[in-house]
Amino acid sequence: MEYAVETFSLTKIFSDWWGRNKVYAVDDLNLQIRYNEVFGFLGPNGSGKTTTLKVLLGLLYPTKGKVIVLGGDGSDPKISARIGFLPEESYLYRYLNARETLDFYGRLFGLERQVRKMRIEALLDMVGLKAVANRAVGTFSKGMARRIGLAQALINDPDLLILDEPTTGLDPIGTRQIKDLILELAKRGKTILLCSHLLADVEDVCDRIAILYGGKIQAKGHVRDLLQQTGKRQITTGSISDAAVDRIKQIVQEEHADCVVTSPMDKLETFFIKTVAKAGQQGRPTSGVVSDGTTQISDFLVSQSAEESRRTEILDKLVSAPVSRETSTKHVTAVQAGAVETSETEPQKELLSKLTEPAKPAKSKPVVRSEKVKAEPVVRRTPVGEPQADREQQEQIKKDVLDRLTGNGE
Amino acid sequence: MRSIWAVATNTIKQALRMKIAAVFIILLIVLLPVMGVAMTGDGTLKGRLQAFVSYGLSLTSFLLCLLTIAVSVYSLTSDFQQRQIYTVLTKPIRRFQFLFGKLLGVMLLNTALLVLFSAIIYAITIYTPKFSGATKAQLTQLNNEFFTARASLTPAEVDVTDEVLDTYRKLEKSGQLPPGVSRQKIIAELTSRKRLEKRAAVVGRELLWEFHNVKPVDPGRSLFIRFKYDVSVNPPDLHIYSRWFIGDNRQYPPQGYIFDRKDLIRTFYEIEVPADAVAEDGYLAIGFFNVPLNNTPVIFSSKEGLEVLYKADTFTANFLRAVSLILFRLVFLACLGILASTFLSFPVAILLCFVVFFTGTISGFIIESFDYLSENLSSVYFYTIRPVITLLPQFDKFNPSKFLVPARILDWSLLAKAAGLMVCIKAFFLLLLALLIFSYREIAKIII
Repeated sequence: MEYAVETFSLTKIFSDWWGRNKVYAVDDLNLQIRYNEVFGFLGPNGSGKTTTLKVLLGLLYPTKGKVIVLGGDGSDPKISARIGFLPEESYLYRYLNARETLDFYGRLFGLERQVRKMRIEALLDMVGLKAVANRAVGTFSKGMARRIGLAQALINDPDLLILDEPTTGLDPIGTRQIKDLILELAKRGKTILLCSHLLADVEDVCDRIAILYGGKIQAKGHVRDLLQQTGKRQITTGSISDAAVDRIKQIVQEEHADCVVTSPMDKLETFFIKTVAKAGQQGRPTSGVVSDGTTQISDFLVSQSAEESRRTEILDKLVSAPVSRETSTKHVTAVQAGAVETSETEPQKELLSKLTEPAKPAKSKPVVRSEKVKAEPVVRRTPVGEPQADREQQEQIKKDVLDRLTGNGE
Repeated sequence: MRSIWAVATNTIKQALRMKIAAVFIILLIVLLPVMGVAMTGDGTLKGRLQAFVSYGLSLTSFLLCLLTIAVSVYSLTSDFQQRQIYTVLTKPIRRFQFLFGKLLGVMLLNTALLVLFSAIIYAITIYTPKFSGATKAQLTQLNNEFFTARASLTPAEVDVTDEVLDTYRKLEKSGQLPPGVSRQKIIAELTSRKRLEKRAAVVGRELLWEFHNVKPVDPGRSLFIRFKYDVSVNPPDLHIYSRWFIGDNRQYPPQGYIFDRKDLIRTFYEIEVPADAVAEDGYLAIGFFNVPLNNTPVIFSSKEGLEVLYKADTFTANFLRAVSLILFRLVFLACLGILASTFLSFPVAILLCFVVFFTGTISGFIIESFDYLSENLSSVYFYTIRPVITLLPQFDKFNPSKFLVPARILDWSLLAKAAGLMVCIKAFFLLLLALLIFSYREIAKIII
């Protein structure tokens, strides 16, 4: 079995009451998702993404064609025990509280009471809802419900995680968390099928994508292959003098190429997270999700604090497979604020092939589900810069962003 | 099993927390004790208890039936409508397990509530006489006529076929047959006339019923002859004068008891007779003499004209069996609700269930009226409407008040029949259909 998910000319036609064909929701779809791959399924509204997922999960039957999920039928309990599914909206029982919700799903998986309890507490901790665990989920905001939805999808430590629009309704921190989580899970050998029309999210985490329109695949391939601009190069430097810039321009002109020099901008996402983290550390009360920055999943990827190792522990508890993949380069670059580095847009063939190599799926290494393996520390760069410098940089970013937002900077 | 249980407990939580059950529970908790105090019946203590048990059980049954329909339909259709079913059925649970879980949840809730409310009714019934300062005579009467479970014997319909044929032949010979009427119709008319004759006592004549195999459990206690007079012409004071003989008339002089009575017409009365009126071999004769003081023939209707009642079981045992009749209803309705919601949306499903429920409560009436109509369209009716009607539950046929109010035994065979018909056949059939539909339908397809 080479693929975690495979469809063979899958067609789904919705017909009306009289049986007349109405809509081709999915049309002759051939899809292969390898083990241990983060696969992005893109497309505008009504392009057939969700329909495909529902067919994969056995909620809809294909009109024609066939699907194989984890080597079998997605509705077979043996197979569905290994799948985690987050639907396009978190369809939760409004009268249950967060803990009961997770307990209910845990019981559907037949988990033992002890295991259930451990996983529920860890998951609540992870999605930041421990403080409101005894509140009925009907009173939750959309984002909070989304978090519970995600936690419910992870309760069984799934091998295949199917996420339908996982970041809708989430604040930027939640979005970031989910993206980090996806990468972290992928590192642990999970296969993830991500369905979204939020392109930024997909771009950040996916290895391969397929773009669907009108029920047909319009494009598919590796994200880098599809997006790279091979005719351009980018150089990022530390703060250098205008004279040096002129010299560089001169060199570039000698190569008969155009050259644009700007100060790099931080992403608004990064700025937002930092701001909220600061407010959280000051101990501002909130009735929502606890967002003090120190308890975010994202942190354990970028900092080396005690908090971080606690986070890793939680994930170790939840996920049986050890960390196996290299840290994604996208994230390493995301934290390279002050460092001098030349990042080539040339595809990093070696790393990519490692990430998506079909010969190295999770399948190939036997995963002992019951055994909890302690994660080895991930090789990653520590954040660069003194605290003082960091603060200065933050101020700069803040100024930049504010300027940008108010239009004063121009 | 664990997943079935998870779904069942979730269903119970849903019913309780969405306050569907709360409405019914509060209503019953308030109403039952109020009824216990307010019900007076015909003014006597016995009448009061009869009224309370009858209305209390009927109300409990009615409200629990509505609750069952509401919970079973709401639970499944809301899962479809709010789509929680997407997250549930993508977990390792088979679809039949999910349905069983729902059914189990509904039934557990129902059983718990039924036990609770029938316990309340039972307690109020048992303790009312103690707190109402009843006299010893009243208590004895209650013990004989209410706190008991009496077997009943009704006279068998007399076979009149030969007499009818005889009369028909005579009429035919003398050419007195009405023209243009079929033989079948004339025979039917003659039969009912003859039967009526057999149940009627003209003035100055005696009617005699004979019973065999009368076996009271306790020879020290009484027998009861329950009767109701029907008349063709109302007597001036609406009363009938009579002489009854109850005992063994096979010897001379007859061994037994004689009662002279004056009773209202069209009202049930019971004559208490010591159980030794029954002969050793279980023979009992009952004679009714229409004394010449009356000026009208007295008719005993075939169904409830005359009955012999004697104690055959305790009130408690009878009460428990009567309550289980309600439980069978609830099982049927739960299966019906689940079936309806596998392929219908909430308003339609609940409407369908209510229609079936109300038709079920008056099924006897419906069957009778259709049987009457069917004389003209027999075969069409027989193959179309009749099977549908017989598929409906017959709640009125198995009504617990029918047994508890006259303290009549609801024996195990009748209980088994009710269970067999309502649960084993009808509810099972509904559940099977529900499983079939639910297993093969597309879950994500929205029903409008």
